[in-house]
Amino acid sequence: MNLDWLSSGWMILALAGAAAALVGVAAAFLLTPVYKHLVCLRYLFSGWKAVVPVVSALPAALGVFLLILVFAIMDGFANDTQEMTHGTLADIILDAHLEGMPYYEEFARQIETIPEVEAATPTIQTYAIARIEPTRAVFKPIVQPCLLIGIRPADKVKMGRFRKYLQRQDPTKGEFPAESLLKVPDEVKTLRKEAGLQDRPGIIGGIGVVGTATHAEQTRTVTRGAGLRVLLWNLAVLAGIATLFLWQTSRRRPGRKGWRLATRAALVMAAALTVGPFLLPDRLAQVTRREVVDFPLIGCWDDLVLSTIPVRESGGLDVGPGGVPNVSVRKFTLVDTFKSGFWEADSSHMYVDFAVAQEMAGMGAQAAEDDRPALPARASQIHVKIRPGADGPAVKEKVIKAWQAFAAAHAAERLPFVKIQTWQEQQQMILTVVQIERNITALMLGLMFLGFAILTALISYVMAYLKMRDVGVLKALGARDAGVGSLFLGYGFIIGLIGTAAGLVYSLLMLKYLDDIEQWVNDVFHVNVFPREMYYFDHIPQHLAPEFAVAVCLSVLGLATLASLAGGLLAALKQPVEALRYE
Amino acid sequence: MSETILTARGLVKDYRMGSTPLRVLHGVDLDVERGEFLCILGPSGSGKSTLLHLVGLLDRPTEGQVFFEGEDASARSKRWRDKQRRDAIGFVFQFYYLMPDLTVLENTLLPAMISTSLARWPFDRAARRAQALAILKELGLGERALHLPSELSGGERQRAAIARALVHKPRLLLADEPTGNLDSATGGEIMKLLERLNRDQGLTIVMVTHDERIAERAHRVVRLRDGRLLRNG
Repeated sequence: MNLDWLSSGWMILALAGAAAALVGVAAAFLLTPVYKHLVCLRYLFSGWKAVVPVVSALPAALGVFLLILVFAIMDGFANDTQEMTHGTLADIILDAHLEGMPYYEEFARQIETIPEVEAATPTIQTYAIARIEPTRAVFKPIVQPCLLIGIRPADKVKMGRFRKYLQRQDPTKGEFPAESLLKVPDEVKTLRKEAGLQDRPGIIGGIGVVGTATHAEQTRTVTRGAGLRVLLWNLAVLAGIATLFLWQTSRRRPGRKGWRLATRAALVMAAALTVGPFLLPDRLAQVTRREVVDFPLIGCWDDLVLSTIPVRESGGLDVGPGGVPNVSVRKFTLVDTFKSGFWEADSSHMYVDFAVAQEMAGMGAQAAEDDRPALPARASQIHVKIRPGADGPAVKEKVIKAWQAFAAAHAAERLPFVKIQTWQEQQQMILTVVQIERNITALMLGLMFLGFAILTALISYVMAYLKMRDVGVLKALGARDAGVGSLFLGYGFIIGLIGTAAGLVYSLLMLKYLDDIEQWVNDVFHVNVFPREMYYFDHIPQHLAPEFAVAVCLSVLGLATLASLAGGLLAALKQPVEALRYE
Repeated sequence: MSETILTARGLVKDYRMGSTPLRVLHGVDLDVERGEFLCILGPSGSGKSTLLHLVGLLDRPTEGQVFFEGEDASARSKRWRDKQRRDAIGFVFQFYYLMPDLTVLENTLLPAMISTSLARWPFDRAARRAQALAILKELGLGERALHLPSELSGGERQRAAIARALVHKPRLLLADEPTGNLDSATGGEIMKLLERLNRDQGLTIVMVTHDERIAERAHRVVRLRDGRLLRNG
């Protein structure tokens, strides 16, 4: 578990504040008259009435459970999507569009002098058409658009998770030097030569360009037993409630051994049902389900053709005689496939060597001709990797200032407009959609909390109304108005506490066994909760931020206590004589 | 030499029935001596319970003053009046008003629990419990201490209510028709108990009733009719 959040200054301040508040609450708790604790306990766990707080706590439990579960899954999706998006990009991107920027090497080295910057590398990016002749199926050649990206592999691997997304040269499967990622191995070259094939530059193709996705039955090994575990834990909760009820009853009937024995038996059962499921061995089982599977049309060492139209430094197309644009066509040998899970990248990216891409895009250096001076080489982008912990937007501002100074120094050459963005800004559309979905869900669940608050307020009010005679008695015996009122606040707080604890425990258990439970629901009810044929994920993504869980729990507790003011105020403001006459 | 524990001067109490004001007490004057057993006798609706609530500091008069042990209660804060009820005054009601969710022992311990903090309770608990059990035993409820009020007879409930009123050793016991809900035999027992407490412990008792025969057992009887005291002494 990542605990970095614990070391942030605000978090330390918040924890110190929470600790101080806790000490204050504990002191106030110890200084309150003892009758409040006794009466509150009796109201909560007295005979059949013990059902009331349990039922009242259900909306709170449900609220905490749903909020934590839904947001953990949403954040899991968002995080995984962001990670995939970020993994294909860099932290900061300088984009000079298709016309490209000169002096990119000089400026990249200048960017690297910024202390927060780890590395900067130029990249070529242009649109191209890929012609693929399927070798693994009897189809006609496929022609489709793609994004031709020229990289320096040794630098690219420093930028994001590029290497992690390679399917053949997977770093977990062996040693693959970064600088050779785009090279055709010598033994393959020899084989190709024997087969009469020419040497071609290597290319790494997005799995969605060199292949396609299809639905197929996949057999996987899963853990079974989640259903039984959840069932046992539910029984543990019931046994826990029974223990409380029996304990309270046995305390009032110390002469009767039966109650005491029953309490102990219920306690042992609750403990066994709580601990037992953790000790159950995992049962592994093979399941077959429909999932998205990749269907490559060509394999490694097969050739494909890329065509692109070079763009001049002026922004115009490279046009030949007769006004027909010159098309740059080149054959490549597929050395690897690329799969990030981010469909936009997987279905368009084609990575080739920087120099090759630069030449195809018409961005190479050009010697002086009769009517035009020599032109420097260009790159369409510079990708920047910042150091861990550095503030992206702040570094971006430094890069912008550096570029402004650089452009001013080269004012005579009129450098192109360069868009400088963080990766979040570049992918704002996707991230905003996720954020909007999150906000809508928060609003809907917030309305449910409003319902819980109203319900708790009603329960507290009705409770105070029903116990008005007790209120009168306590006041007649000298209990203070605020003290009697706070009795009902305590009642609401305990209802909130029961609900919050139950909701938190259930949501954490659910998250722990999410995939197993999903499989169990699938098996038993034949309901496909998470259709894997729709997603690239082979598991349900989840990410629970501890501070979010703490905030949810504290909010529910606060809300429950606040809502109980309805009953607390009724009790506190009622005159003792009126309360005693209450019928 | 006798000492006045409670004095009421010109007590007036108005209630509002919708938009109509209703005067329940019309300038009542009353003196109660320490150690006295006083009975306020009056028919139903004469204002005797209202008077008891006013002198017991449970309610404030519309006009007039209540002096408890020489202190003008109307000039003191609510906190002070709460404290007097907690420490110096005991109440017994016609309908017992025991808390149904608490055992007899817990009901008896309530005044102690109201005046003791949770932090202090572990140190006081044993002594308070022993004291409450002793009173319950004295009132014949030793065996019923751990029962719920619903498991007791009417007489037992009233004795439990008296135990609760006595546990903090009050200087004044106010009883509102303590036998009103009991049969004559059980009512007689309760009266004997109150007489014994007054005689043996010197406890000042102010009791209201509508029953002439019960009233005869007090040292002094004052009559209340239509909110006016007819005779004092």
